[in-house]
Amino acid sequence: MGTIGKDVVLEALKKVQDPEIHRDIVSLGMVKNLEIEDGKVVFTVELITPACPLKEKIQDDCRKVLAGIEGIKDLEISFGAQVRGSKSGAGQTDLLPTVKNVVLVAAGKGGVGKSTVAVDLATALKMHGAATGLLDADIFGPSVPILMGVKEEPKKIAVNGGFKLVPPIAHNLPVMSIGFFLEPDQAVIWRGPMLGKALQQLMADVQWGDLDYLVVDMPPGTGDVQITFSQQLKVSGAVLVATPQDVALADVVRAKSMFDKVMIPIVGIIENMSYFICDGCGKRHEIFSSGGAERAADRFKMPFLGQVPIISLIREWGDKGVSILVQDRKSEGSKVFLEIAAKLAGQLSVVSESSRRAQALKIIST
Amino acid sequence: MAIPIPVEINHIREKGLVRITWEDGHVGEYPKDYLRGYCPCAACQGHGGGIKFVSVSNAQLAEISAVGNYAIEFCWQDGHNTGIYTFEYLRSLCPCPDCKQSDGPAEK
Repeated sequence: MGTIGKDVVLEALKKVQDPEIHRDIVSLGMVKNLEIEDGKVVFTVELITPACPLKEKIQDDCRKVLAGIEGIKDLEISFGAQVRGSKSGAGQTDLLPTVKNVVLVAAGKGGVGKSTVAVDLATALKMHGAATGLLDADIFGPSVPILMGVKEEPKKIAVNGGFKLVPPIAHNLPVMSIGFFLEPDQAVIWRGPMLGKALQQLMADVQWGDLDYLVVDMPPGTGDVQITFSQQLKVSGAVLVATPQDVALADVVRAKSMFDKVMIPIVGIIENMSYFICDGCGKRHEIFSSGGAERAADRFKMPFLGQVPIISLIREWGDKGVSILVQDRKSEGSKVFLEIAAKLAGQLSVVSESSRRAQALKIIST
Repeated sequence: MAIPIPVEINHIREKGLVRITWEDGHVGEYPKDYLRGYCPCAACQGHGGGIKFVSVSNAQLAEISAVGNYAIEFCWQDGHNTGIYTFEYLRSLCPCPDCKQSDGPAEK
Protein backbone atom coordinates (compact mmCIF):
# COMPACT_ATOMS: atom_id res chain seq x y z
CA MET A 1 0.00 0.00 0.00
CA GLY A 2 1.32 3.41 -0.97
CA THR A 3 1.45 6.38 1.30
CA ILE A 4 -1.59 8.57 1.59
CA GLY A 5 -1.19 11.95 -0.06
CA LYS A 6 -2.09 15.16 1.72
CA ASP A 7 -4.13 16.14 -1.31
CA VAL A 8 -6.31 13.06 -0.87
CA VAL A 9 -7.01 13.94 2.75
CA LEU A 10 -7.69 17.60 1.95
CA GLU A 11 -9.98 16.64 -0.90
CA ALA A 12 -12.02 14.48 1.49
CA LEU A 13 -12.11 17.20 4.14
CA LYS A 14 -13.61 19.58 1.60
CA LYS A 15 -16.85 17.69 2.21
CA VAL A 16 -16.90 18.96 5.79
CA GLN A 17 -18.72 22.24 6.17
CA ASP A 18 -18.44 24.77 8.91
CA PRO A 19 -21.97 24.47 10.28
CA GLU A 20 -22.32 28.19 10.66
CA ILE A 21 -20.64 29.73 7.65
CA HIS A 22 -21.80 26.90 5.35
CA ARG A 23 -18.55 26.66 3.49
CA ASP A 24 -16.07 23.85 3.60
CA ILE A 25 -13.35 23.92 6.20
CA VAL A 26 -10.53 23.53 3.69
CA SER A 27 -11.32 26.58 1.59
CA LEU A 28 -11.95 28.54 4.78
CA GLY A 29 -8.36 27.75 5.73
CA MET A 30 -9.35 26.05 8.96
CA VAL A 31 -7.28 22.88 8.43
CA LYS A 32 -3.75 23.41 9.75
CA ASN A 33 -0.60 21.40 10.41
CA LEU A 34 -1.64 18.36 8.39
CA GLU A 35 0.91 15.55 8.85
CA ILE A 36 0.69 12.01 7.55
CA GLU A 37 3.10 9.32 8.69
CA ASP A 38 2.75 5.54 8.46
CA GLY A 39 -0.98 5.77 7.97
CA LYS A 40 -1.41 8.13 10.88
CA VAL A 41 -3.17 11.37 9.98
CA VAL A 42 -2.75 14.33 12.30
CA PHE A 43 -4.19 17.81 11.85
CA THR A 44 -5.61 20.80 13.68
CA VAL A 45 -8.94 22.40 12.95
CA GLU A 46 -8.60 26.08 13.65
CA LEU A 47 -12.05 27.19 14.76
CA ILE A 48 -13.10 30.74 14.11
CA THR A 49 -14.06 31.25 17.71
CA PRO A 50 -13.11 29.44 20.90
CA ALA A 51 -16.78 29.72 21.82
CA CYS A 52 -17.69 27.50 18.85
CA PRO A 53 -20.81 25.58 19.80
CA LEU A 54 -20.35 22.93 17.11
CA LYS A 55 -16.88 21.56 17.71
CA GLU A 56 -18.13 18.01 18.13
CA LYS A 57 -20.12 18.14 14.94
CA ILE A 58 -17.06 19.23 12.97
CA GLN A 59 -14.98 16.49 14.57
CA ASP A 60 -17.58 13.81 13.77
CA ASP A 61 -17.89 15.00 10.19
CA CYS A 62 -14.12 14.91 9.71
CA ARG A 63 -13.97 11.36 11.01
CA LYS A 64 -16.81 10.29 8.75
CA VAL A 65 -15.32 11.63 5.51
CA LEU A 66 -11.88 10.26 6.32
CA ALA A 67 -13.23 6.83 7.17
CA GLY A 68 -13.69 6.31 3.44
CA ILE A 69 -9.96 6.62 2.67
CA GLU A 70 -8.06 3.38 2.58
CA GLY A 71 -4.87 3.12 4.54
CA ILE A 72 -5.63 5.52 7.39
CA LYS A 73 -4.82 3.57 10.51
CA ASP A 74 -5.00 6.31 13.03
CA LEU A 75 -6.49 9.77 13.19
CA GLU A 76 -5.72 12.58 15.55
CA ILE A 77 -7.73 15.81 15.33
CA SER A 78 -6.94 18.67 17.63
CA PHE A 79 -8.66 22.03 17.88
CA GLY A 80 -7.34 25.54 18.02
CA ALA A 81 -9.08 28.85 17.62
CA GLN A 82 -8.30 32.02 15.80
CA VAL A 83 -11.05 34.60 16.03
CA ARG A 84 -11.51 36.39 12.76
CA GLY A 85 -12.23 40.07 12.52
CA SER A 86 -15.64 41.08 11.29
CA LYS A 87 -15.34 44.81 11.24
CA SER A 88 -16.65 46.57 8.22
CA GLY A 89 -16.60 50.25 7.40
CA ALA A 90 -13.90 50.52 4.81
CA GLY A 91 -11.80 53.50 3.88
CA GLN A 92 -11.77 55.10 7.28
CA THR A 93 -9.23 55.06 10.07
CA ASP A 94 -9.80 52.19 12.44
CA LEU A 95 -9.84 53.70 15.92
CA LEU A 96 -9.44 50.24 17.45
CA PRO A 97 -6.92 48.38 15.29
CA THR A 98 -6.15 45.80 18.00
CA VAL A 99 -9.79 44.79 18.44
CA LYS A 100 -11.11 42.16 16.06
CA ASN A 101 -14.84 42.41 16.72
CA VAL A 102 -16.85 45.29 18.14
CA VAL A 103 -20.31 44.21 19.35
CA LEU A 104 -22.92 46.72 20.50
CA VAL A 105 -25.44 45.55 23.09
CA ALA A 106 -28.43 47.77 22.44
CA ALA A 107 -32.14 48.19 22.97
CA GLY A 108 -34.77 50.64 21.85
CA LYS A 109 -35.59 51.53 25.43
CA GLY A 110 -34.26 51.39 28.96
CA GLY A 111 -34.88 48.89 31.71
CA VAL A 112 -34.61 45.70 29.70
CA GLY A 113 -31.40 44.59 31.39
CA LYS A 114 -28.92 45.62 28.72
CA SER A 115 -26.09 46.25 31.14
CA THR A 116 -26.53 42.94 32.94
CA VAL A 117 -26.67 41.14 29.61
CA ALA A 118 -23.58 43.00 28.36
CA VAL A 119 -21.58 42.16 31.50
CA ASP A 120 -22.62 38.50 31.52
CA LEU A 121 -22.08 38.08 27.78
CA ALA A 122 -18.59 39.55 28.02
CA THR A 123 -17.82 37.30 30.97
CA ALA A 124 -19.15 34.25 29.11
CA LEU A 125 -17.09 35.03 25.98
CA LYS A 126 -14.05 35.32 28.23
CA MET A 127 -14.83 31.97 29.86
CA HIS A 128 -15.05 30.38 26.43
CA GLY A 129 -11.43 31.44 26.03
CA ALA A 130 -11.74 34.58 23.90
CA ALA A 131 -9.85 37.76 24.75
CA THR A 132 -12.72 40.07 25.66
CA GLY A 133 -13.15 43.64 26.86
CA LEU A 134 -16.15 45.59 28.11
CA LEU A 135 -16.92 49.22 27.27
CA ASP A 136 -19.71 50.99 29.09
CA ALA A 137 -20.99 53.63 26.67
CA ASP A 138 -24.09 54.38 28.70
CA ILE A 139 -22.82 57.82 29.57
CA PHE A 140 -25.99 58.97 31.28
CA GLY A 141 -26.43 55.95 33.51
CA PRO A 142 -23.20 53.99 33.64
CA SER A 143 -23.90 50.80 35.57
CA VAL A 144 -20.90 48.69 34.64
CA PRO A 145 -18.76 50.01 37.54
CA ILE A 146 -21.34 48.62 39.97
CA LEU A 147 -21.99 45.39 38.08
CA MET A 148 -18.27 44.66 37.76
CA GLY A 149 -17.41 45.92 41.23
CA VAL A 150 -14.70 48.26 40.01
CA LYS A 151 -14.39 51.91 40.87
CA GLU A 152 -10.98 53.30 40.18
CA GLU A 153 -9.87 56.03 37.89
CA PRO A 154 -7.95 54.44 35.00
CA LYS A 155 -4.23 55.15 34.82
CA LYS A 156 -2.95 57.37 32.06
CA ILE A 157 0.14 56.43 30.13
CA ALA A 158 2.04 58.51 27.62
CA VAL A 159 1.86 57.20 24.06
CA ASN A 160 3.32 58.99 21.04
CA GLY A 161 3.06 62.47 22.48
CA GLY A 162 -0.52 61.96 23.66
CA PHE A 163 -1.87 59.73 26.35
CA LYS A 164 -3.92 56.56 26.58
CA LEU A 165 -6.15 55.26 29.33
CA VAL A 166 -5.37 51.83 30.74
CA PRO A 167 -8.60 49.99 31.51
CA PRO A 168 -8.78 48.48 35.00
CA ILE A 169 -9.18 44.69 35.08
CA ALA A 170 -12.21 43.28 36.86
CA HIS A 171 -12.77 39.51 37.01
CA ASN A 172 -10.20 39.11 34.21
CA LEU A 173 -11.95 41.59 31.90
CA PRO A 174 -10.51 44.96 30.92
CA VAL A 175 -13.31 47.43 31.61
CA MET A 176 -13.84 51.07 30.69
CA SER A 177 -16.69 53.31 31.74
CA ILE A 178 -17.42 57.00 31.96
CA GLY A 179 -18.50 56.17 35.49
CA PHE A 180 -14.83 55.84 36.51
CA PHE A 181 -14.39 59.57 36.03
CA LEU A 182 -17.43 60.73 37.97
CA GLU A 183 -18.05 61.30 41.63
CA PRO A 184 -20.55 58.77 42.99
CA ASP A 185 -24.15 59.93 42.55
CA GLN A 186 -23.10 62.74 40.28
CA ALA A 187 -25.29 63.15 37.23
CA VAL A 188 -23.93 63.70 33.76
CA ILE A 189 -25.59 66.83 32.42
CA TRP A 190 -24.12 67.39 29.03
CA ARG A 191 -25.04 68.86 25.73
CA GLY A 192 -24.09 67.32 22.41
CA PRO A 193 -20.56 68.67 21.93
CA MET A 194 -19.34 67.61 25.38
CA LEU A 195 -20.96 64.27 24.91
CA GLY A 196 -19.18 63.84 21.62
CA LYS A 197 -15.84 64.63 23.19
CA ALA A 198 -16.28 62.18 26.05
CA LEU A 199 -17.34 59.45 23.63
CA GLN A 200 -14.39 60.18 21.39
CA GLN A 201 -12.09 59.53 24.37
CA LEU A 202 -13.84 56.32 25.30
CA MET A 203 -13.61 55.12 21.71
CA ALA A 204 -10.16 56.24 20.70
CA ASP A 205 -8.00 56.70 23.78
CA VAL A 206 -8.28 53.37 25.57
CA GLN A 207 -5.37 50.96 25.51
CA TRP A 208 -7.33 47.73 25.10
CA GLY A 209 -4.49 45.57 23.84
CA ASP A 210 -5.33 42.64 21.56
CA LEU A 211 -8.97 41.68 21.88
CA ASP A 212 -11.13 39.14 20.07
CA TYR A 213 -14.33 40.82 21.22
CA LEU A 214 -15.13 44.24 22.62
CA VAL A 215 -18.63 44.21 24.09
CA VAL A 216 -20.18 47.68 24.27
CA ASP A 217 -23.03 48.46 26.66
CA MET A 218 -24.98 51.12 24.77
CA PRO A 219 -27.33 53.69 26.27
CA PRO A 220 -30.99 53.04 25.51
CA GLY A 221 -32.69 54.46 22.48
CA THR A 222 -31.70 55.71 19.07
CA GLY A 223 -29.84 58.96 19.66
CA ASP A 224 -26.54 60.79 19.56
CA VAL A 225 -24.41 58.03 21.05
CA GLN A 226 -25.68 55.43 18.60
CA ILE A 227 -25.00 57.72 15.65
CA THR A 228 -21.51 58.55 16.88
CA PHE A 229 -20.63 54.87 17.29
CA SER A 230 -21.98 53.95 13.89
CA GLN A 231 -20.01 56.74 12.22
CA GLN A 232 -16.71 56.52 14.05
CA LEU A 233 -16.15 52.86 14.79
CA LYS A 234 -15.94 49.82 12.63
CA VAL A 235 -18.76 47.93 14.27
CA SER A 236 -19.18 44.21 13.62
CA GLY A 237 -22.77 43.95 14.70
CA ALA A 238 -25.42 44.75 17.25
CA VAL A 239 -27.20 42.50 19.73
CA LEU A 240 -30.70 43.63 20.67
CA VAL A 241 -32.02 42.98 24.15
CA ALA A 242 -35.78 42.90 24.64
CA THR A 243 -38.34 41.89 27.20
CA PRO A 244 -41.10 39.64 25.89
CA GLN A 245 -44.20 41.82 25.92
CA ASP A 246 -45.56 43.47 22.78
CA VAL A 247 -45.03 47.06 23.88
CA ALA A 248 -41.33 46.38 24.39
CA LEU A 249 -41.04 44.78 20.99
CA ALA A 250 -42.14 47.97 19.31
CA ASP A 251 -38.86 49.41 20.55
CA VAL A 252 -36.94 46.46 19.13
CA VAL A 253 -38.35 47.32 15.74
CA ARG A 254 -37.23 50.92 16.13
CA ALA A 255 -33.73 49.87 17.14
CA LYS A 256 -33.54 47.49 14.21
CA SER A 257 -34.60 50.16 11.75
CA MET A 258 -31.90 52.47 13.08
CA PHE A 259 -29.17 49.83 12.67
CA ASP A 260 -30.48 49.04 9.20
CA LYS A 261 -30.07 52.68 8.23
CA VAL A 262 -26.44 52.76 9.29
CA MET A 263 -25.89 49.27 7.89
CA ILE A 264 -24.78 47.62 11.10
CA PRO A 265 -25.90 43.98 10.99
CA ILE A 266 -28.06 42.66 13.82
CA VAL A 267 -26.20 39.59 15.00
CA GLY A 268 -28.95 38.50 17.32
CA ILE A 269 -31.76 39.25 19.68
CA ILE A 270 -31.92 38.14 23.31
CA GLU A 271 -35.13 37.89 25.28
CA ASN A 272 -34.47 38.95 28.85
CA MET A 273 -36.80 38.36 31.82
CA SER A 274 -38.46 35.62 29.79
CA TYR A 275 -39.93 33.63 32.63
CA PHE A 276 -39.60 32.96 36.31
CA ILE A 277 -39.41 29.54 37.93
CA CYS A 278 -40.92 29.87 41.39
CA ASP A 279 -38.57 28.54 44.02
CA GLY A 280 -41.56 27.63 46.17
CA CYS A 281 -43.86 25.78 43.78
CA GLY A 282 -41.54 25.12 40.84
CA LYS A 283 -44.10 26.50 38.42
CA ARG A 284 -42.99 28.52 35.43
CA HIS A 285 -44.51 32.01 35.43
CA GLU A 286 -44.38 34.09 32.28
CA ILE A 287 -44.64 37.44 33.94
CA PHE A 288 -44.16 39.60 30.86
CA SER A 289 -45.55 36.94 28.52
CA SER A 290 -42.97 34.88 26.66
CA GLY A 291 -41.57 34.17 23.23
CA GLY A 292 -42.30 37.63 21.82
CA ALA A 293 -38.67 38.32 21.00
CA GLU A 294 -38.40 35.02 19.17
CA ARG A 295 -41.44 35.89 17.08
CA ALA A 296 -39.93 39.30 16.29
CA ALA A 297 -36.67 37.57 15.33
CA ASP A 298 -38.60 35.33 12.95
CA ARG A 299 -40.54 38.17 11.45
CA PHE A 300 -37.52 40.38 10.79
CA LYS A 301 -35.11 37.54 10.01
CA MET A 302 -32.81 38.22 12.94
CA PRO A 303 -30.97 35.36 14.65
CA PHE A 304 -32.58 34.52 18.00
CA LEU A 305 -29.88 33.93 20.59
CA GLY A 306 -31.92 32.75 23.56
CA GLN A 307 -34.10 33.45 26.58
CA VAL A 308 -32.74 34.65 29.88
CA PRO A 309 -35.09 33.79 32.75
CA ILE A 310 -35.68 35.98 35.78
CA ILE A 311 -33.28 34.52 38.31
CA SER A 312 -32.83 36.55 41.44
CA LEU A 313 -29.21 35.36 41.73
CA ILE A 314 -28.31 37.14 38.48
CA ARG A 315 -29.54 40.39 40.01
CA GLU A 316 -28.15 39.72 43.49
CA TRP A 317 -24.62 38.98 42.33
CA GLY A 318 -24.75 41.81 39.83
CA ASP A 319 -25.49 44.25 42.64
CA LYS A 320 -22.49 42.87 44.51
CA GLY A 321 -20.28 43.53 41.52
CA VAL A 322 -19.77 39.90 40.54
CA SER A 323 -21.22 38.30 37.43
CA ILE A 324 -23.20 35.16 38.16
CA LEU A 325 -20.79 33.34 35.86
CA VAL A 326 -17.85 34.23 38.07
CA GLN A 327 -19.79 33.37 41.21
CA ASP A 328 -21.13 30.00 40.08
CA ARG A 329 -20.28 28.84 36.61
CA LYS A 330 -22.51 25.79 36.92
CA SER A 331 -25.66 27.68 37.86
CA GLU A 332 -28.73 27.79 35.62
CA GLY A 333 -28.20 31.46 34.77
CA SER A 334 -24.54 30.91 33.87
CA LYS A 335 -25.44 28.06 31.51
CA VAL A 336 -27.89 30.31 29.71
CA PHE A 337 -25.28 33.02 29.16
CA LEU A 338 -22.58 30.57 28.08
CA GLU A 339 -24.94 29.19 25.44
CA ILE A 340 -25.98 32.62 24.23
CA ALA A 341 -22.35 33.75 24.02
CA ALA A 342 -21.47 30.70 21.92
CA LYS A 343 -24.32 31.42 19.53
CA LEU A 344 -23.29 35.06 19.34
CA ALA A 345 -19.70 34.11 18.51
CA GLY A 346 -21.03 31.86 15.77
CA GLN A 347 -23.13 34.65 14.30
CA LEU A 348 -20.16 37.02 14.38
CA SER A 349 -18.08 34.57 12.40
CA VAL A 350 -20.84 34.44 9.80
CA VAL A 351 -20.80 38.23 9.63
CA SER A 352 -17.02 38.22 9.34
CA GLU A 353 -17.29 36.24 6.12
CA SER A 354 -19.85 38.57 4.58
CA SER A 355 -18.21 41.78 5.76
CA ARG A 356 -15.22 41.14 3.55
CA ARG A 357 -17.52 42.43 0.83
CA ALA A 358 -17.90 45.84 2.46
CA GLN A 359 -14.19 45.92 3.30
CA ALA A 360 -13.40 46.09 -0.36
CA LEU A 361 -14.40 49.74 -0.89
CA LYS A 362 -11.51 51.69 -2.40
CA ILE A 363 -11.44 55.46 -2.28
CA ILE A 364 -8.90 56.83 -4.73
CA SER A 365 -8.01 60.03 -6.43
CA THR A 366 -6.61 60.10 -9.94
CA MET B 1 -29.50 42.61 -0.96
CA ALA B 2 -31.42 45.72 -0.17
CA ILE B 3 -28.94 48.54 -0.51
CA PRO B 4 -26.05 48.29 -2.99
CA ILE B 5 -22.57 49.05 -1.70
CA PRO B 6 -19.97 51.00 -3.64
CA VAL B 7 -16.75 49.12 -4.32
CA GLU B 8 -14.72 51.99 -5.73
CA ILE B 9 -14.96 55.73 -5.47
CA ASN B 10 -12.58 57.50 -7.79
CA HIS B 11 -12.10 61.26 -7.68
CA ILE B 12 -10.98 62.10 -11.20
CA ARG B 13 -9.61 65.58 -10.66
CA GLU B 14 -8.92 66.62 -14.22
CA LYS B 15 -12.48 65.83 -15.30
CA GLY B 16 -13.94 67.35 -12.15
CA LEU B 17 -16.04 64.31 -11.37
CA VAL B 18 -16.35 61.36 -9.03
CA ARG B 19 -16.78 57.94 -10.58
CA ILE B 20 -18.57 55.42 -8.36
CA THR B 21 -18.49 51.73 -9.14
CA TRP B 22 -21.12 49.65 -7.33
CA GLU B 23 -20.95 46.02 -6.32
CA ASP B 24 -23.72 45.18 -8.79
CA GLY B 25 -21.48 46.43 -11.58
CA HIS B 26 -23.25 49.76 -12.09
CA VAL B 27 -20.96 52.75 -12.74
CA GLY B 28 -22.02 56.36 -12.33
CA GLU B 29 -20.08 59.58 -12.96
CA TYR B 30 -21.04 62.45 -10.68
CA PRO B 31 -19.86 65.97 -11.64
CA LYS B 32 -18.56 67.72 -8.51
CA ASP B 33 -20.97 70.66 -8.80
CA TYR B 34 -23.85 68.21 -9.00
CA LEU B 35 -22.63 66.38 -5.87
CA ARG B 36 -22.18 69.61 -3.95
CA GLY B 37 -25.57 70.96 -5.05
CA TYR B 38 -27.29 67.87 -3.69
CA CYS B 39 -25.44 67.98 -0.36
CA PRO B 40 -27.91 66.37 2.08
CA CYS B 41 -26.85 68.28 5.20
CA ALA B 42 -29.34 70.36 7.14
CA ALA B 43 -27.47 73.59 6.40
CA CYS B 44 -27.99 73.05 2.66
CA GLN B 45 -31.39 71.38 2.71
CA GLY B 46 -33.08 72.92 5.72
CA HIS B 47 -35.80 70.96 7.46
CA GLY B 48 -38.59 71.49 4.97
CA GLY B 49 -38.52 67.97 3.56
CA GLY B 50 -37.79 67.13 -0.03
CA ILE B 51 -34.41 67.45 -1.68
CA LYS B 52 -33.49 70.57 -3.59
CA PHE B 53 -30.47 71.54 -5.65
CA VAL B 54 -28.43 74.30 -4.01
CA SER B 55 -26.02 75.70 -6.53
CA VAL B 56 -22.49 76.53 -5.33
CA SER B 57 -20.29 77.95 -8.01
CA ASN B 58 -16.88 76.41 -8.59
CA ALA B 59 -16.98 73.96 -5.68
CA GLN B 60 -13.68 72.15 -5.25
CA LEU B 61 -13.62 68.71 -3.75
CA ALA B 62 -10.85 68.29 -1.19
CA GLU B 63 -11.29 64.88 0.36
CA ILE B 64 -13.55 61.84 0.35
CA SER B 65 -13.86 59.52 3.33
CA ALA B 66 -16.07 56.68 4.45
CA VAL B 67 -18.46 57.06 7.38
CA GLY B 68 -19.08 53.90 9.37
CA ASN B 69 -20.61 51.09 7.33
CA TYR B 70 -23.11 53.12 5.43
CA ALA B 71 -22.11 56.49 4.05
CA ILE B 72 -19.54 58.76 2.39
CA GLU B 73 -18.43 62.20 3.50
CA PHE B 74 -17.24 64.76 0.98
CA CYS B 75 -15.03 67.58 2.27
CA TRP B 76 -14.96 70.68 0.11
CA GLN B 77 -12.19 73.23 -0.13
CA ASP B 78 -14.41 76.00 1.25
CA GLY B 79 -14.50 73.98 4.48
CA HIS B 80 -18.00 72.56 4.00
CA ASN B 81 -17.96 69.00 5.32
CA THR B 82 -21.29 68.37 6.99
CA GLY B 83 -22.87 66.34 4.20
CA ILE B 84 -23.07 62.64 4.95
CA TYR B 85 -24.22 60.85 1.80
CA THR B 86 -25.64 57.42 2.61
CA PHE B 87 -24.99 54.73 0.00
CA GLU B 88 -28.70 54.63 -0.70
CA TYR B 89 -28.87 58.39 -1.27
CA LEU B 90 -25.75 58.37 -3.45
CA ARG B 91 -27.16 55.62 -5.61
CA SER B 92 -30.43 57.50 -5.99
CA LEU B 93 -28.45 60.55 -7.15
CA CYS B 94 -26.73 58.62 -9.94
CA PRO B 95 -26.85 60.93 -12.97
CA CYS B 96 -26.42 58.27 -15.66
CA PRO B 97 -29.18 58.17 -18.32
CA ASP B 98 -30.55 54.82 -17.11
CA CYS B 99 -31.01 56.04 -13.55
CA LYS B 100 -32.26 59.49 -14.53
CA GLN B 101 -35.29 57.96 -16.19
CA SER B 102 -36.44 56.57 -12.87
CA ASP B 103 -37.18 58.55 -9.75
CA GLY B 104 -35.13 61.46 -8.50
CA PRO B 105 -33.12 61.51 -5.26
CA ALA B 106 -34.44 59.44 -2.41
CA GLU B 107 -34.87 60.88 1.04
CA LYS B 108 -31.57 61.92 2.52
